[in-house]
Amino acid sequence: MTTDELEQLLAQQPVAVLHRLARGRVHRHFRAGKRRLIELLLQHSSQNLAGLESDLQTLIAERQPPAQPARSPGRAAGRAPAPPSKQPLPGGGEPGIGEPAVSLAAWLEGLGVPAPQPFVPDPWQNEALRALDDSDVVVSVPTGSGKTYVAVEAARRAMEDNRTVIYTSPLKALSNTKFTEFSRIFGSDKVGILTGDRQENGQAPLLIMTTEILRNLLYDAASGEIDVRLDTLGLVILDESQYLADPERGVVWEETIIFCPSQARLLLLSASIGNPQDIADWLSSIRTTPCRLVRHSKRTVPLRAGYLHPNGKLVPLFKTAAIPHGHPTHLHPEAKRLFIEYEEETLPSGRPRR
Amino acid sequence: MPPSIHPVDLIASLRQKHLTPAIVFLTSRRACDEAMESFDHADIVLPPARQDAIAAALERVIAQYPSVAEHPLIPTVQRIGVAAHHAGHLPSWKIAIEELMRQGCLDAVFATTTLAAGVDFPARTVVITQSSIRKARDFTDLTVGEVQQIAGRAGRRGKDQVGFAVVTPSPYIDLGVLTKGLTGHPESIDSQFAISYAMVLNLLKAHPHEQIQGILAKSFAQFQLNRRAESLERKLDTLHVQMEPFGPRVCTDWITQWQTFDQVRRQRPQRHQVHRQESPELSARFHFMTPGRVVGLTRGRGIVLRQYRSKGQKNPMISVLRPDGAVTECPATTVADIFDRVFDCEETSAFPWCSAAAFDELCYQLTELPTRLPILPILVPKDSEPLSDAIVQSMGDFPCPTCPSRPACQKDFTIAHRLRQEQHRHIKSIQALRASLWHRFQERVEVLQKFGYLSPSSQLTEDGEWARLIRIDHSLLITELIRAEAFTGADPALLTGIMASIAHDDDRPGAFPRISTGLSSLLGQVRKLAESLSPYEDPPLLRADVAALAERWIADPNLTWIGLCRLTTMAEGDIYRLLARTLEFLSQIHTLRATHPGLADSASKAIALIRRGVLEELP
Repeated sequence: MTTDELEQLLAQQPVAVLHRLARGRVHRHFRAGKRRLIELLLQHSSQNLAGLESDLQTLIAERQPPAQPARSPGRAAGRAPAPPSKQPLPGGGEPGIGEPAVSLAAWLEGLGVPAPQPFVPDPWQNEALRALDDSDVVVSVPTGSGKTYVAVEAARRAMEDNRTVIYTSPLKALSNTKFTEFSRIFGSDKVGILTGDRQENGQAPLLIMTTEILRNLLYDAASGEIDVRLDTLGLVILDESQYLADPERGVVWEETIIFCPSQARLLLLSASIGNPQDIADWLSSIRTTPCRLVRHSKRTVPLRAGYLHPNGKLVPLFKTAAIPHGHPTHLHPEAKRLFIEYEEETLPSGRPRR
Repeated sequence: MPPSIHPVDLIASLRQKHLTPAIVFLTSRRACDEAMESFDHADIVLPPARQDAIAAALERVIAQYPSVAEHPLIPTVQRIGVAAHHAGHLPSWKIAIEELMRQGCLDAVFATTTLAAGVDFPARTVVITQSSIRKARDFTDLTVGEVQQIAGRAGRRGKDQVGFAVVTPSPYIDLGVLTKGLTGHPESIDSQFAISYAMVLNLLKAHPHEQIQGILAKSFAQFQLNRRAESLERKLDTLHVQMEPFGPRVCTDWITQWQTFDQVRRQRPQRHQVHRQESPELSARFHFMTPGRVVGLTRGRGIVLRQYRSKGQKNPMISVLRPDGAVTECPATTVADIFDRVFDCEETSAFPWCSAAAFDELCYQLTELPTRLPILPILVPKDSEPLSDAIVQSMGDFPCPTCPSRPACQKDFTIAHRLRQEQHRHIKSIQALRASLWHRFQERVEVLQKFGYLSPSSQLTEDGEWARLIRIDHSLLITELIRAEAFTGADPALLTGIMASIAHDDDRPGAFPRISTGLSSLLGQVRKLAESLSPYEDPPLLRADVAALAERWIADPNLTWIGLCRLTTMAEGDIYRLLARTLEFLSQIHTLRATHPGLADSASKAIALIRRGVLEELP
């Protein structure tokens, strides 16, 4: 929207709307007449055109009868193929000329269900599986990137070689979920579970347990009480291994890794952590097999951050649609303004926040 | 403006922007429950087709887990398509919600941030309402890793092209923490290696004492300690390089040499400060102004009655008897001549500084003095420097004052000394880092030897052999209880009660009206023992109400789950977790069947009795 268009649009509005729009933007706006207000708002628009536009649209939409919610900016990019809006106001879809911050519509773009695609493993998933042939592997990838696929494929390959696989997770609830999931994939006779209060199918080739149980098994084996399952043990998968840093339970992961039989491969699956290389180096230093780190920081499904004001207004949180890694201060000017407004209104003045 | 967005408005605006399904992370369980209540009269109901879909999905779950059927939230879940999911719910309920979420039936789930790791289902959108998290009774800011773990739930693979993390302000929010968390690099993780008694026993069972240091060296803790030690060593090397230009001097350890020399030198002037102000003549002459001596002042003569130093400035002073019988105090500098004439003078400590008879005698003598008196010749050492002389004399041991490298030492000392101090500090911390785990291990070994689980030669004793099978928290307390035969003759219910109170580590209040006398007296003993063990092991909370609750579940086989929940204010999920954890502790006790058959039998009975109702139904 050019300045001229904006000026026309503002001139069409009643002065009450202009005053509401000027709130928080123009100092002492209540003293200005309509012409002066438009002037001041246009001056302000040089700083933050996007915010002004989207606010204006919300206000206009509020004044319209609610029977036509199709004008809300989110709908323009929604999954339904909405007919192009014939209103004089552009949907805020095109970022203005020289506008620094992303508009809401651009931010919401791409929302929806992707077309079904055949599953193709990501390169890092293949890399991890290949590396597992001749070394231990530490995987550090963001939440929701598909670590489970690696676990399932690795377990399948090990079981094809008639080796036992142990899969551990930190929480009993997660163990139960995985038990259900793996039983569905491999068949219920192939999968067993051992937790503090549940033991099922304990001789199955794929055993799911909490890490504490595995640690106890390894201790018993070390003191001579031989467990046949450990002799054929080919692969140990430690899920959520960022629990290594848990103040109370982290030690269990260390014990498990230290006492893990040398013939078994180790696969550590972890969320993004700062020093995965350290863990890989540590494994290399204490085990006979080398250890490879598979690291991947890009999310499969891109993430965007938004800011929802208590009055229901949604704006992007950052200037760019994607999250600006390494630049926490690149906030969307509108989000910043709304948050400051929120803090001023909700917090007693002179009191420190929190 | 409201302090935060109303849940109904939140869901409405998420729906309007097509940002559902969403997970809304709230501060507390209560916030989740209140959010659910606020939907009671909300008019944002789902279309009937979707309501039916939820009902159908729920029915499938109920077929597997009947306990879900009576859940009070079901009407809201069906009508609005929102649900609460937190630790206060039974696992079956959480499984049901996760299943509904996976099928895409729900629009939003309210969850607590504390359980973010346990929320194992993705959504299109994640709503973040806070920037801090409750950890051990206190709120701390979310770390970068935690923010990313929470935000990471947004965006379902294959179902979404984009995921959204939406921040909405509430009084508990610091936007800076969240923006940093979203854009930042996750923190490094540190080892939390702790050596427990069970670990010591198990290690010593499998390995001889000498090998254990090698095993501990394989831990990630030691790896990280070594890393730190290595970086310190690198610093040490650079320090060595920095020290090189200061090396070799005449003496082998010039820094220490100079340091002590410098200290002594600094102390000297303080002791002689007074004398430094005096001219050499004055200090030479002052020795002769003894009581009874006749001195010539600027006006007339007098007899010295005493000599002293003035209070503040320590100037040399004398009290003089004047010819008119007056006693005046004058500085030694005003003395013009010292005559070669001394009278006997009986000194006293108070005015007039001599006995009355001597005073009269001196007055008389002063008037009788001849006009000319011989002046005492006093030799003043002219060219000598008393200061350096004094140093050389008092510091016969130090070669520094005459050493040729003295100027260089004096110049370099400050830098070299700082470098050396750093060096020492690094060497010490490197030693500490290399040996710290082993020291901690040895401490534990000593405690176990004291209690008799280990022999003096670090072999497992008979008690140690079975005690190593107890590999849970508070293992020392439990093994000591077994040794003290606290459970002898105790029925399964009592045993369960005690184990529950040891296992429960939550301090959320929960009331239970009655506790049986047997349990309360046993619990008293346990408390006493835990107290006496507190130097070696942190005592558990040992709450009576949870003990009574667990006891009741065992003692009364007709008690239903609903009945049990009515007995206490604890949430269903908490009761479930309490019993599940107790079960774990009991199954550890059950492993002692070889040495303590009676106890193991009691434990296995208790295990069988715990598993009923909801606990049996769940995985």
